[in-house]
Amino acid sequence: MDLHTLAAGLAMGLGGIGPGIGLGIGFSKAMEAIGRNPEASGTIFVPYILGLALTEAIGIYALVVSLIILFAS
Amino acid sequence: MVHVEIKAEELFAIGPLIVTNSMVGVLLASAVLLLAAWWFTRRSAVVPSRGQSVIELPIEFLAGVVRGTGGKRWRQFAPFVLAIFLYVLVANWLSLLPGVGTIGLAGEVEGEKVIVPFVRAGAADLNFTLGLALVSFVAFIAFGLRANGLRGYLKELLIAEPAYMTPLLTPIHLISELSRVISLSMRLFGNVFAGEVLLATMLALTTATVFILPLAFVVPGIFLGLELLFGLVQALVFALLSMTYITLAIAEHRQHGSSDDHSGDAPEQGAAPAHGSA
Repeated sequence: MDLHTLAAGLAMGLGGIGPGIGLGIGFSKAMEAIGRNPEASGTIFVPYILGLALTEAIGIYALVVSLIILFAS
Repeated sequence: MVHVEIKAEELFAIGPLIVTNSMVGVLLASAVLLLAAWWFTRRSAVVPSRGQSVIELPIEFLAGVVRGTGGKRWRQFAPFVLAIFLYVLVANWLSLLPGVGTIGLAGEVEGEKVIVPFVRAGAADLNFTLGLALVSFVAFIAFGLRANGLRGYLKELLIAEPAYMTPLLTPIHLISELSRVISLSMRLFGNVFAGEVLLATMLALTTATVFILPLAFVVPGIFLGLELLFGLVQALVFALLSMTYITLAIAEHRQHGSSDDHSGDAPEQGAAPAHGSA
């Protein structure tokens, strides 16, 4: 139990805030769009998945950094 | 507590080639795909049997997505996108089978007794995802070269739209091209590896409290279902991002150049995010 553990926890915790907010906004907008126009759900799906992947990548970077801090240093 | 190994463990070596357990996992995925391809093309019919329909279902689904968002030349790269999708999907789902990551030889790492599993999830090794991302990188460069020619491609890559902005924008553009490889590989690796750690942690937590609450029989199953979904989503994301990069490389023309090429392609607008996205 040293500072490495704290650093990994902070990296993941703080790094999860941004992507969490971003994913929430994106998902709510997608649901809103489908609610307004249910026929468009097929068209919305692919851009939504892509946006989800691009947003989530930031969180994954934080995860990789904290894993490196925990296990590889 | 849970033992987590970020690298793939070494099983044995054939000469200079070290065989790791994630290589075994990836080769198993390839074998499954090859066998399925051989088995179902051998007796394929126009009116599909039940087994053939099951195999055709994901292929038809993704081919529909590629047709809808890939623009005019979707036929050129649809096989590539489908191959990436099926490969990642099978590799991800194989890693959820019982025995993968749990059956192995007893070993010792830093004085701690651990299991060195025979098979490890393929995508839980950065080598596999980085290799796949490099294949995708080469593919979208090759498609861009074929569609626009060497001159058009280099012009697109090296010269910014107002010419005086070139020294500022070109490095950014080059870095964003390269960062696609890193983000593709890191995304898949991070997701699958985190999934493995999550499953192991959940199992360890619930088995520790099994004498109070018999949660160990329920909770890991829920997370296994979640991992089934994540494996599908990550395979889809990898394939769709590769497809988007290829469409961007093919359709990258200046506005004043040949804009009449794609005037009628409404769905393509939706699948092509902004220029600098990584």
